Amino acid sequence: MTDSAPAIAVHNLRKLYGDKAAVDGVDLAVPRGCFFGFLGPNGAGKSTTIRMLTGLIPPSSGSIELLGMPLAERELEIKRRIGLVPDESLLFDRLTGAEFLEFVGRMYGLARPMAVERAQSLLELFELREKRKLIAEYSKGMRKRLAMAASLIHHPDLFLMDEPFEGVDAVGARLMKDILLDQVRRGATIFLTSHVLEVVERLCDRVAIIDHGKIVREGSMDELRGGTESLEDVFVRVVGAGHEFHELEWLK
Amino acid sequence: MIPAILRAQWLSMRISRLASGRRGAVFTGIVAVIWYGFWTLLAVVAEELTAAPELRSHIETWLPVGLLAVFGYWQLAPLASATMGASLDLRKLLIYPVPRRSLFLVEILLRVTTCAELLLLLTGAAIGLLRNPAFGAWRSIGRVPLAVVLFAAFNLMLAAGLRNLIERLLSRRGIREVMALLLMLVGVLPRLLIVTGVGGRRIEHAFPAAANPIWPWGAAARCMLGLAAGARPLPAAAVLAAWTLAAYLFGRWQFVRSLRYDFQEAQATVVSAKDRPWTDGLYRLPSFVLPDPLAAIVEKELRSLVRTPRFRLVFVMGFSFGLVVWLPMMLRGRVTHSAVSGNFLAVVSLYALFLLAQVTYGNAFGFDRSAAQLYYAAPVALSRVLAGKNIAAAIFIFLEVAAVSAACSVLRLGISAGQIGEAFLVTAIAALYLLGVGNVSSVNYPRPMRAQRVSAGGAAGRAQGLLFLLYPIALLPVFLAYLARYAFDNRIIFYAILAFAAALGVAIYWMAMESAVATAGKRRETILAELSRGEGPMVAE
Repeated sequence: MTDSAPAIAVHNLRKLYGDKAAVDGVDLAVPRGCFFGFLGPNGAGKSTTIRMLTGLIPPSSGSIELLGMPLAERELEIKRRIGLVPDESLLFDRLTGAEFLEFVGRMYGLARPMAVERAQSLLELFELREKRKLIAEYSKGMRKRLAMAASLIHHPDLFLMDEPFEGVDAVGARLMKDILLDQVRRGATIFLTSHVLEVVERLCDRVAIIDHGKIVREGSMDELRGGTESLEDVFVRVVGAGHEFHELEWLK
Repeated sequence: MIPAILRAQWLSMRISRLASGRRGAVFTGIVAVIWYGFWTLLAVVAEELTAAPELRSHIETWLPVGLLAVFGYWQLAPLASATMGASLDLRKLLIYPVPRRSLFLVEILLRVTTCAELLLLLTGAAIGLLRNPAFGAWRSIGRVPLAVVLFAAFNLMLAAGLRNLIERLLSRRGIREVMALLLMLVGVLPRLLIVTGVGGRRIEHAFPAAANPIWPWGAAARCMLGLAAGARPLPAAAVLAAWTLAAYLFGRWQFVRSLRYDFQEAQATVVSAKDRPWTDGLYRLPSFVLPDPLAAIVEKELRSLVRTPRFRLVFVMGFSFGLVVWLPMMLRGRVTHSAVSGNFLAVVSLYALFLLAQVTYGNAFGFDRSAAQLYYAAPVALSRVLAGKNIAAAIFIFLEVAAVSAACSVLRLGISAGQIGEAFLVTAIAALYLLGVGNVSSVNYPRPMRAQRVSAGGAAGRAQGLLFLLYPIALLPVFLAYLARYAFDNRIIFYAILAFAAALGVAIYWMAMESAVATAGKRRETILAELSRGEGPMVAE
């Protein structure tokens, strides 16, 4: 394990579902302390890649190294240093926000008093003040904020986030962005997927675009935009979105 | 529109079937063959009995009682098992312009999911009557099928109405457990009264009254038996048709009320720890004796399950239904000194252990749904997760035994401290085997469960099937211990066998845990996909 090794080093990563490759030979190197945007149209393989990085699904082939350690061999050690915000809910509906955060903290090895203390601080920070409300009654935005809080509680070095801003109001999104930027400043690495390209453009240092399971562009934000284009222009051009709806006569 | 709904459901279920693979399909097939094979056998017996001309007087006496039993099973069995079969998920269908009558028709057809075995039985009895010359044999080809169809339709529509009514009642926070208890008491009260001798004669006289053609089962019996039995079939058929119409109106009325009912509003809960600070202390008790993350998992399970309506319902049923079902046998056994009366507490505790399987150890990740991925994402070994869930389940199992013991004391059933200790002991030993099986089924047949849905979504059918098949085997060591005690009248032999059973149980639990953890690692993708999957337009059991 070396601190100079990339936070994420993926080589020839593939995930097959039958004959179909959801992820098809992806190579990625995300430097430490980087805010990395992972973009792609729906079904391109973003979530599958993140799920492989977190160990939720095994790759069909290829290698994954996180924080300089091979995921397959040092899974538990790596997991202790990862903060995860997945696309699907990992919240237990029948707990309150405070109970859930305390539970997550203890699962990541924090002593109970510390987990309780951090849980309270995070609930305050994320304005989830109805401390006794069950998660089942949370709105979508509140659930995302709680998931973000849970990813922070053990102070991880690497964040893997799948659409973290989805359903979050403007105030909550601003808070989350500020926190994430602060995490990058202290040296953490963030690997994030989002469909909100303006957010990615504003936050990320580097971006990769995946389409049909393959990386089709990768580079710094400036390299991708080439000085004149917006990220949205680049994205639409690269993934080739069509506008065939004009051909549907009945829709006119 | 109905074909579209059915197709959507079929496609939704197909995803699940594909995920479970050929092994799952084979197992489902085996369970189905055993279950329906048993009922087919009963149907054949019914056919043979009703086809015998020499049994004419017996058939005339017992057919209405038999149909009353069919009616009782049809309406009460879904309650007793806390599984009410498939039903339409109205939340997903209300947005579409589907006529109510179409939805109601599908809802009625879905009631077949809880009573297909009874249709087999009725068919067997009907074929027997059609062969029986004492009742006109094939000359009754018109009235026997008519009576069976009307009786089945009556039951289906009544079941649809009752299901909607009960589901609305059970959805109300605070009263669902009381409702469940009352419904069960209503179901077993007649039997209890007969056995205890309270109004016994009057109740016993009520059985012949079942033959009265004013009741649907009496009318159906008369209609099936026909003129040859001395009855007039036409008025009986008219009475049966009237009952069927009434059941249709009731079912339709309840269905429409459910369409307008806001389940979410009824289930709205805001937990206030300030109101009950002592419960928070109870949840934290495991942390005093267990290390993290085990304690954290146990604590989380305790909090979550207590707040889960479906779990609470099954928990209440675990001791109350066990009590009211076995109590008559126990009371009868006071006279005859049967095995049940002597070991009543142990019997009820083992029944509660079995019932809890569907909401705890039989499908350990069911209520977690997609959140189960946290167990894979967190730096915790899966053996710890399963062990934590098992400990939480064991706590509830022992609470059940304590509740049963307390109820026995209140009812002054003469249960000694020794018997209470023995009930705890044998339940703990049997739990070792069943928790082991439950861990294996939880990772092989995971299925998402809805916490707030009290009437559907228990453990996967295959998981329940596996437990159902293995339950007698799991109880075998304990059963052998009791057998030895009665055979040799020696408590030392009894406890020696229990000690052996406990040692074997520990070994089996350990092996099952190893197997479950290995499977959970290999099948993680399938498990998470299965637990995260959405449902089709129906809530399937």
